[in-house]
Amino acid sequence: MTVRHDRADGMRRRRFLTTAALGGATIVGATALGGLDAEAAFAAEPSLDPAIAKSTFVEGRITGITGSVLEVAGSQGGHSRVQMTNVTSVWKVRATTAEVIEVGDGLYARGVKMPDGTVAADAVWVNIVNLDTQIRGIAKNRLHLAHGQHELVGHVAPDASASYAGRALTSDLSRLRIGQSAQVLGAWRPSDNSVDVVRISVGH
Amino acid sequence: MACGSTSLWAGETSWFCCGNAWGPCSSAGGGACGNCQSSAHHGAWPNASQACWNITRPDLCGENIPRRGCGAVMKVKHQCSGATVCITITDCGPRTKDWCGEATCCNGTCRTNRVLDLTPAAFSAIGNLSSGKLPVYIYE
Repeated sequence: MTVRHDRADGMRRRRFLTTAALGGATIVGATALGGLDAEAAFAAEPSLDPAIAKSTFVEGRITGITGSVLEVAGSQGGHSRVQMTNVTSVWKVRATTAEVIEVGDGLYARGVKMPDGTVAADAVWVNIVNLDTQIRGIAKNRLHLAHGQHELVGHVAPDASASYAGRALTSDLSRLRIGQSAQVLGAWRPSDNSVDVVRISVGH
Repeated sequence: MACGSTSLWAGETSWFCCGNAWGPCSSAGGGACGNCQSSAHHGAWPNASQACWNITRPDLCGENIPRRGCGAVMKVKHQCSGATVCITITDCGPRTKDWCGEATCCNGTCRTNRVLDLTPAAFSAIGNLSSGKLPVYIYE
């Protein structure tokens, strides 16, 4: 998909959300934009259409799922409702669909606030983390990481990639070394507080 | 303080969490300025103080980034989409020296070296969190 197509897709998605917000329309089940191409959706950047309302951000833990609405308890208190739509992009370890979202997951969401306060999401990132760590141990399919004062287990997925000293991403993780500083983009597992490593970047 | 349009710097931005948060981020704390929050449009600057500079050392990558302390306001613009977000500096980072030469590109044009970290709220306003990094222009 070209960049032009990505941006056009992003504009259509967000205009749809705004239209739903302004009209108070029921957006669940709407199929005006057809099926969601998750990879393409995440490739798109937010639109610049001046007619589009400013985006709203939601952060917290999912406390309930009612149909296509996520109930979210904010980390600073407060409560939000996030409306999933047919055009909501979902990331959980990889671009995926809303079916994989579970109560207890952590969430960041971007969308448009509707008149009733619900946020119609154009993108949700579930359990995503981007952590500054140090490699403390290396096993076959996992890394032992230090994050601040805490130990963290990183499960290395078969499709995980690495970047060494600022170079391009590679599937070769054999050059990781104990003691290296590493930025880990991955997904938190609420069940055991470990993370799935999606990309790891080690510095100089 | 206003979100200005005077060019300040350009480079890569990554994202980080701070303040009250879930998962591994729950221990992140309020950052160097004490008030950093993942849900706010905040950022970390490599020269927020001399102590900060001593950790990040952007000069080792050829980036003599000027001092901008806690409370400084910046406008961050995605190099290609033009999407912007106005942020307040509330932390020190990233450790630019660790990533000398790293490039992030769009439309065939690249920005080199990590010169800024954004909270999830700020980063997601101009890009997608799963990308991890974005090429940006920074104004004040």
